[in-house]
Amino acid sequence: MLRLAWRNVWRNRRRSLINAASMAFGLAAIMFGQSLMRSLQSQLVEKSTGSITGQIQIQDPRVEQMKMPDRFIKDPAPIAAAVARDPRVLAGAGRITLTSLISTPQTSVGVLVVAVDPAVQERITDMSRYVSSGRYLSGGKDLYLGDKLARRLDLRLGEKAVIMAQAADGSLGADVFRLVGTFHTASESFDNSIAYVPLPAFQALLGRPGQINNYVLKLKDLDQVDAVRDSLESALKGRPVRVLTWKDIDHEILGVEQFQDAILDVVLVVVFAIVALGILNTQLMSLFERVREFGVLMSIGARPRWILRLILTESALLGAVGVAAGTAVGAALIWHFGRAGLPLPVGQAFSYFLPFPSVIYLRPSWGAHAFACAAVFAIALLSALPPALRAARLKPAEALRHV
Amino acid sequence: MSKPAHAPLVEVRDVEKIYPGGTKVAAVRGVSFSVARGEFTALAGPSGSGKSTLLNVIGTLDRPTKGEVLFEGAPVSRLGADQLADFRLRALGFVFQAYNLVPVLTAVENVEYPLVLQGAGYAERRREALEALRRVGLDKEADRLPDRLSGGQQQRVAVARAIVHRPALVLADEPTANLDSKTGAALLELMEELNREAGVTFLFSSHDPAVLSRARRVVRLADGALAGEETRDA
Repeated sequence: MLRLAWRNVWRNRRRSLINAASMAFGLAAIMFGQSLMRSLQSQLVEKSTGSITGQIQIQDPRVEQMKMPDRFIKDPAPIAAAVARDPRVLAGAGRITLTSLISTPQTSVGVLVVAVDPAVQERITDMSRYVSSGRYLSGGKDLYLGDKLARRLDLRLGEKAVIMAQAADGSLGADVFRLVGTFHTASESFDNSIAYVPLPAFQALLGRPGQINNYVLKLKDLDQVDAVRDSLESALKGRPVRVLTWKDIDHEILGVEQFQDAILDVVLVVVFAIVALGILNTQLMSLFERVREFGVLMSIGARPRWILRLILTESALLGAVGVAAGTAVGAALIWHFGRAGLPLPVGQAFSYFLPFPSVIYLRPSWGAHAFACAAVFAIALLSALPPALRAARLKPAEALRHV
Repeated sequence: MSKPAHAPLVEVRDVEKIYPGGTKVAAVRGVSFSVARGEFTALAGPSGSGKSTLLNVIGTLDRPTKGEVLFEGAPVSRLGADQLADFRLRALGFVFQAYNLVPVLTAVENVEYPLVLQGAGYAERRREALEALRRVGLDKEADRLPDRLSGGQQQRVAVARAIVHRPALVLADEPTANLDSKTGAALLELMEELNREAGVTFLFSSHDPAVLSRARRVVRLADGALAGEETRDA
């Protein structure tokens, strides 16, 4: 049967090639779309977690605004110990993020101060890569600002600014920091409103030596966030902390992901419908052309079910050719744009909120691609079912009379 | 199906076939006759006399509106679709006016198809198919596709396909109608030879006197009804 089915597929070579090509390009388009969305989402998550959120944060459970933790952890040592024991963690460090006031002789501006351990922080976020003048933090009372913020403050490298924030005792803590560098991320909110300082100096300013308000982690594999969160939750059970993943903190990015997934689903349904109609059309035309032949096969003893299987096998073979070609084309596109990058103006769309490049580097999403391949193949089979059932119900004598 | 002793190979009992539609047409009306094993019988009659319809009913490709067809004494007309397919595969061979070979299969692949449906292994079915092609004188053309064969060669392949599984009865509907007289005569010679030497029972239809003259028995139809019968000595 396989031989007959295979030759039947190619008896109208042009039609089968057009059909297989439509399946292939449909599948390739689906794979490309899946990869583009997943890559965009991954880059978005990597940029967001790599810029400020971190992949996992450990906070006081009473914190109300997860992005601006207003509760402090007085003893982060057990957290550091638990994190150090987990081999899936690439790096982890305590930090303080706090809205504060920064003043120069010319002006005062409200900013988000991010106080970090400069050495470890470089492994957790990318901020040290965005230096536009001077250098990144090293210690002491270094100040590292967004270039736009520096301009607003009229502050130049080497000049001093005062940072003021509410101290632990309720008083106004203040200290002088020296601008050692500026960064440019192209993100309006980053470049205009964030100031980085070394953690010990800021802890001293707040009168909170050794204290932090969030502990930030970067993992070796981003996909492990939920598993690591679970492990850390059980390791820190009984302590007054909670473990959050970026999904808990960055609701907006999760929302963007869900929106993109919904669009992708609509596109997939349209592409699947086009593929299904193409195969249905081919099989119906093929059926009408071969009614007499089915009559001959029935007359020499083919059961109706055998005819059904023959047509489904033909569709399966055509589907396999389309899926194989589509996988090859889709994989080639993903490979090419994974290396060369795909310039898309999405950076501008996201850059107000976080640093985001306008080049997307495609990466395969094999689970989603496998689903698409299986779906296209299943559609090839299912769309052949109506004509196959129709052929199986033919009466031999009527089929033989068919012209 | 049990085989009553000395039952004819095929028995047609009062068969009627009416095609439904606005004006109901009785293509076959109350026909009864039988065919014994080893016969070389022709169904004769002008176009529209019901020959093809009767052959289709005997070949279980169509069901009679009334009456019954018995094969070796057992009724077959009312069997289910799968049982009928199995019956045709086991007991019948068909030769059609328009050859009706599968165009994407070579001559030998066409011939071996009934054996494929029977589940025979590759070596066995290829051996049997080549033997059937040898019998019809086309073993040298085994690997040709139908469109590379002449009409006469295609009909010989069709005959080989009809006999490859050694059926009890071969039904041939106007087998020479699309062939020139010389090729048609050669095909009839081949059928006679298979009947004489291999004992294949043939029931074929024709309106051509030259073809009918080769039959040892002629059952005549007119307007769907039996119009007479002639038997010639072998």
